[in-house]
Amino acid sequence: MGSTTVGRGPRRDTRLSLAARRRLRGVLGFVVGVGGFLLVWTLLSEFIVGKFLLPPPLEIGQEMWGIVRTGAFLDHFVPTIMRLGYGFGLALVIGFPIGYLMGTSRYWRAFFHDMVIVAGSIPGITYAVMALVVLGISVLGPVISVGLVSMPYVAINVAEGLDSVDRRLMQMSDAFSRRRVDVVRHVLVPSVAPFAFAGVRLSFALAWKVEQLTEVFGSSKGVGFQIRKEFEDFSIPGMLAWVLLFIVFMILVERFVLVRLERYLFRWRLEDQG
Amino acid sequence: MSIALERRAVRGGAPGAIRRAVTSDIGARIASYLFLLLVWQLIALYEDRFPTPAEVFGFLWIEVTAGSHGGVVRGQFLEHFAATLPRFALGIAISMALGMVTGVVIGASKVAEALFKDTLLVLLALPAIIWAFLTQMWLGLGDDAVVITTFLSAFPFAAVNVVQGVQAIPRDLRRMSSAFGVSTYRRFRYLQVPAVTGYVFAGLRFAVIIGWNAVLLGEWFSASEGVGWRSRYWYDANRYKGFVGWVLVFILFIVLLDRLVLVRLQRRAFRWRDAQLSAIEREAEEVQLGVTGA
Repeated sequence: MGSTTVGRGPRRDTRLSLAARRRLRGVLGFVVGVGGFLLVWTLLSEFIVGKFLLPPPLEIGQEMWGIVRTGAFLDHFVPTIMRLGYGFGLALVIGFPIGYLMGTSRYWRAFFHDMVIVAGSIPGITYAVMALVVLGISVLGPVISVGLVSMPYVAINVAEGLDSVDRRLMQMSDAFSRRRVDVVRHVLVPSVAPFAFAGVRLSFALAWKVEQLTEVFGSSKGVGFQIRKEFEDFSIPGMLAWVLLFIVFMILVERFVLVRLERYLFRWRLEDQG
Repeated sequence: MSIALERRAVRGGAPGAIRRAVTSDIGARIASYLFLLLVWQLIALYEDRFPTPAEVFGFLWIEVTAGSHGGVVRGQFLEHFAATLPRFALGIAISMALGMVTGVVIGASKVAEALFKDTLLVLLALPAIIWAFLTQMWLGLGDDAVVITTFLSAFPFAAVNVVQGVQAIPRDLRRMSSAFGVSTYRRFRYLQVPAVTGYVFAGLRFAVIIGWNAVLLGEWFSASEGVGWRSRYWYDANRYKGFVGWVLVFILFIVLLDRLVLVRLQRRAFRWRDAQLSAIEREAEEVQLGVTGA
């Protein structure tokens, strides 16, 4: 939704004040909006629904603080994040060659077409329960789920990236009879890598949800496992505390790490568009 | 580059008709399905618990034709779809109706956007499993829990797409129509509706894909019949061929619904916008639309 970009036009001062005003509105909206939401929530839990079924935000906040303070946060976040990282690694390792084949050969494009196209509509629960059946309760389950979920996005983005490779560079490499290896290394990989990364970033939100679901079904550690445990203890505050902590963490990672990294990788392209 | 290779594939030295058939697009597709079956067979060989394709298709045949699974347990197929589809449809209908109202409000008003966008962001990020757990604790087992899980999971995705649609109404046209005093009705009919329709269909597609996952999860935890419940039934009975068979069915259901209905609707409504995209760009766009779900 509303993104705040500071333009570098000639009338710099007014633009900046506009951006500042917009930022102020964002902060104000956040404070009032989230504050109002929490207020409504508190009132609901106090007077209408009851504290047991809808614990007030304060209680969940205390629960969250408890999770952070006791170190349980690190114990379960670290494995979850590690698995996510390995899963993305797997997605890149498999998705890159598939995307390369799809982008360069008509046969392979038709071969992988259906697999890649339907991937987005397969329900996440499929990966979670299949991992459980094939692997049992294992650390591999979430890794492979994340890998399988993200791989098609990497593949199709790599294929799209190959489609966008500067043809003049290819012709030049041809004219100066560069070796295939060099062309791949110096022309294809640098122009395609940002697309592969975009695939990872786009699948990020889906991947961590599927990972959590896999952990709910079959894991002995991790955020999803904790959510399951709190559910079985019938602890609504515990469950909400874990999931909200994780969501906040993931939104921050997406905003401040992935988006910036992507902008960095794509910077040659942004300059190009001027 | 791909063009050069395509030409080679068509022209370059395919002597026989068989070879041409094998290297054609349809040949490649058939090969890919055979490849998937082979992988499946290999997984089944490697892991005894996992059923072979033959076992699964044998099971599905009995389930669909209401034959006997041994003893008194009979195949049930349509019954469970009949239980699931009304829940699914109701959940999607509510999320679309509320999603459109919310989307128009947030999209049209700067104040509403500033107030609600962070809440919407958190709702988008909440996994469906949380709603499945919460509704079970709130409402117990039954239809309500499933419908509300579906609604709560799909709603933010419907809303956020409508927001984008409302914000994408071309500003120039808006200004021009106010300068020339175009009537509210005509503005609605010829400016706002055409601009937003594509996004509404995209939102519907999102809602359906995400809602399907949610309805299955909801049924897995809080129902006593339905597609999600039936797959859990076989899972709990340690009859993995039944379980895998049902997983196959619910993948097939959503893929067919998406490819045969939803993608077409969306493509039609967006053809004014995407006409200049290449085939692969459009596919990438469509695949990525499904991304934020689960």
